[in-house]
Amino acid sequence: MTSMHGSVPSVDSLSGQSVLGGGASRLRRAGPSVSFGDERHQTAHRWLVDEAWLLDLQSYDEWLALLTDDIHYLMPVRVTTALGAGYDTSPGMAHFDEDKYSLSRRVARFQTEHAWTEDPPSRLRHHLSNVRTFATEDADHLVVESATLLFRSRGDVREGSLVSAGREDLLRRTPEGWKLARRTILVDDSVIRMQNLAIFL
Amino acid sequence: MADTDAGQAAVLDAVRRGMIPAHIYNDREVFELEKKRLFSRAWLFVGHESEIPQAGDYVVRRVLEDSFIIARDEAGEVRAHFNMCLHRGMQVCRAEMGNASHFRCPYHGWSYRNDGRLVGLPFHRDAYGGEAGFPRQGQRLLPAPSLASYNGLIFVSLDPAAPPLEEFLGDFRFYLDFYTQQSSGGIELRGPQRWRVKANWKIGAENFAGDMYHTPQTHTSVVEIGLFREPKAEKRKDGCTYWAGAGGGTTYKLPAGDFDERMRYVGYPQEMIDRIKAQWTPEQQRVVGEDGFMISAASIYPNLSFVHNWPRVGESDDVLPFISIRQWQPISEDETEVLSWFAVDAQAPEEFKALSYKAYLMCFGSTGMFEQDDVENWVSLTNTAAGSMARRLLLNSRMGMLPDGSGVVPALTPDQFSGPGTAYVGYGEYNQRELLNRWADDMERPVPATGPATGAGDAPSAVAAAPDPAAPVAEAVGQA
Ligand code: FES
Ligand SMILES: [Fe+2]
Repeated sequence: MTSMHGSVPSVDSLSGQSVLGGGASRLRRAGPSVSFGDERHQTAHRWLVDEAWLLDLQSYDEWLALLTDDIHYLMPVRVTTALGAGYDTSPGMAHFDEDKYSLSRRVARFQTEHAWTEDPPSRLRHHLSNVRTFATEDADHLVVESATLLFRSRGDVREGSLVSAGREDLLRRTPEGWKLARRTILVDDSVIRMQNLAIFL
Repeated sequence: MADTDAGQAAVLDAVRRGMIPAHIYNDREVFELEKKRLFSRAWLFVGHESEIPQAGDYVVRRVLEDSFIIARDEAGEVRAHFNMCLHRGMQVCRAEMGNASHFRCPYHGWSYRNDGRLVGLPFHRDAYGGEAGFPRQGQRLLPAPSLASYNGLIFVSLDPAAPPLEEFLGDFRFYLDFYTQQSSGGIELRGPQRWRVKANWKIGAENFAGDMYHTPQTHTSVVEIGLFREPKAEKRKDGCTYWAGAGGGTTYKLPAGDFDERMRYVGYPQEMIDRIKAQWTPEQQRVVGEDGFMISAASIYPNLSFVHNWPRVGESDDVLPFISIRQWQPISEDETEVLSWFAVDAQAPEEFKALSYKAYLMCFGSTGMFEQDDVENWVSLTNTAAGSMARRLLLNSRMGMLPDGSGVVPALTPDQFSGPGTAYVGYGEYNQRELLNRWADDMERPVPATGPATGAGDAPSAVAAAPDPAAPVAEAVGQA
């Protein structure tokens, strides 16, 4: 990926830099995005749309079942740095830096009767856009990029809050269907404007 | 803060009785007075030396609305300068962190070395008459009025006459070592995660200072999922709270064992325990080894907090400790920016650092499973404190105190608790009252007005430069 921030590490290298990302697949995209009519793109796009509905409904058991056992789920802390500084994520610090175990604990907590931050539950809407799909050198893996905008509303009169982010996902074909093997979330805020991240992106 | 001085006195009076007027958690006038009388003179945390290890490293941090560049200059010294150009007031540095030998103002191009000194003015000769017309020497970005560090923690105070930092911290320094000096290498900080919550800044500071009572209720879920084995109600009330100097905190009572066994119980590997023993005084070690208390959360007045916990980080039953340092940065009466850092002993093994970081992320910070439920409570409280009914309500913050002001339980004796200050076993709001009593003292004490300053000020941390009485704009920082 090239951008204005030409010297910033590309999104698909961030997982490998995390001290907790060691177990994840390092497969990267190969070539330009595939056409929107390509079956691989349609598969990946549909997967993301289905996932967005699961997350809106907080159907977290079903969501967890869509993640591979070696998943790395990473959301670095973004920082404002000078153009040319060479990085725009906080060295060694993330909001989420998760494996299957820590994600399963988060899901298990929501399912207790004492996760007060989600009782009463938030109303969530994950808006998904800008989806594009890339082949990898392995036919059973696809890289998918997307933008997500989460609107979260709590209570009756509190103002809703938003999180905007880009995501780079690695999808893997398994006997049980396509699963998420790696996700890197590039949140667009340096200072998060949500009371907590008791949500998934 | 109240319509009359008498109204204000009544508020402070009630606070000192442990009956807290609910509106102080969401009241614009109270916040204005806090800015004027509290944040204008308190020692406030702005970062840790490990965040700027190399010459030229800098972070930009705020003290309320004021932005400061915290930099390590070429000589290795830590500097804190107000991030405003001496010329027309542009923000000189607009990044949050980085490395630079100079900062060039984007507006007209004045440039400053990372020690704050003005070194370049475009068209100096044509526009100002050169060195004779406007000498650069002695001109520097406005330094923080007071700057000091302890165990690598960097503090600034907007009061040039602030008491020395160590004097301010007082006996809390004894407890600070538990978090920040586990070896001769000190700690390294990562982060911060930053996020904004619609909650008053005092609530978090009070909670971390002494609220053991909320743990069994608020944090039930993290015990249910096996993340944390300690906060069952019967466990938490066996801990003690302590207050010493500028801060206080909470502890857990550990099962029987000596120092090594108890440190291993919370997950420290033996090599770290050996370094800790070489670092902590016998009294510090006795708090754990003999008295059986392990430090957990704490706050330094007004808005800096610490936490030390030991969750499970994988399928096995092993636990692993982590440390977080956080600041409750006030944005307004009903909004706080939380800055939450992960801290770890610089000499810890890499594997420990990685797992301790994982433990932190699971428990605290923007995604932490403890933190999520805390914030929900604080937002709700703040929201409820805004109206007229809240002005009639005095919240009960008298836990641990009988009607005559004496304690429900006696303070621990030096035989029972080896640390300085005053400690009590069990649930109580001693520390919340200590914090708010200091708050009341500050709120009552007027602050003398501060006169204008220029880039030629002579604040204590200024670089020595030849005085130039001829400098036309030179003016000492002074009292109006
Ligand atoms: S405002 Fe900075 S150079 Fe003019
Ligand atoms: Fe808590």
